[in-house]
Amino acid sequence: MADPNEIPIVYTIRGCDSCVNLLKKWDAENLIYDERRVEVSQATLDEARRYGKMVPIVVWPDGRVEQGFEDSFGCMI
Amino acid sequence: METATTVVSSARFEQGLSYGDFLAGAAVNRDKFEQNYRNPVLTEEDLIFFRKASELAEGPRRLLAIAEAWCGDVYRELPTAVRIAESTGMELRIFLRDENPDIMDEFLSNNGKSRAIPVFAFYTADTRYITHFTERSASAHAGLAFAMDEAKAKLNLPPSASFGNLPDSERQVFFQEVISRIEPHTEQWRRDAVKEIRQLLAAALHLPDTA
Repeated sequence: MADPNEIPIVYTIRGCDSCVNLLKKWDAENLIYDERRVEVSQATLDEARRYGKMVPIVVWPDGRVEQGFEDSFGCMI
Repeated sequence: METATTVVSSARFEQGLSYGDFLAGAAVNRDKFEQNYRNPVLTEEDLIFFRKASELAEGPRRLLAIAEAWCGDVYRELPTAVRIAESTGMELRIFLRDENPDIMDEFLSNNGKSRAIPVFAFYTADTRYITHFTERSASAHAGLAFAMDEAKAKLNLPPSASFGNLPDSERQVFFQEVISRIEPHTEQWRRDAVKEIRQLLAAALHLPDTA
């Protein structure tokens, strides 16, 4: 089982096309990740807002934060 | 929309949520909805226009909104639709986008590729389609494009730069630059959305509009 400290955290909304596309890509690459859906919990949404304003938001184990996916602007939260 | 095959019948319309039920079911952003409701962008002139429109024999008496509580454009714009409905007596019914794909399919944008929300669709008392507004004002779309151009200039990026073709590090800096340029304009864009809704209704109902 993957060490939770060594996998990326990804904040998503399931209705967001950019989020869906990112997860499809990662699933195809067999990347293990910790998905946190911001649309189901205010606490998770507030947690995501500490990192950015547009999902998908990826927090890599080394602390790097990325927002959006490929050419899409993502969904503002 | 205005087709013989629309799924928005009177019976279906009546199945939509009231604003109170929508808010009660919202897992997130209730504070944002309430804040924007308390900070309406409608002027008295706007309200006079919407009342006049709604009093026409073929005027809007029903307002269908497609929404999701997690969407930033929705928590900014839906409270405006609520205010319009409250001030005119229009019946507002809200449909969750992801639970009502058949209704959403009637209002796709971006040449049928985007399920952008919110959608505000106006109907007559007997649920005949009049017009609809989608997502955000034209000025907001233009402002976003302008913000991207400005950010590219500041960061010395080529005009061809986009989120998709920049290395991750540059992409994130570019992203932050764009966001910082958008945020100061969101209230103006809410006001512009009202103007656009007025223009859509005025055109559909052949009403003069000076917004």
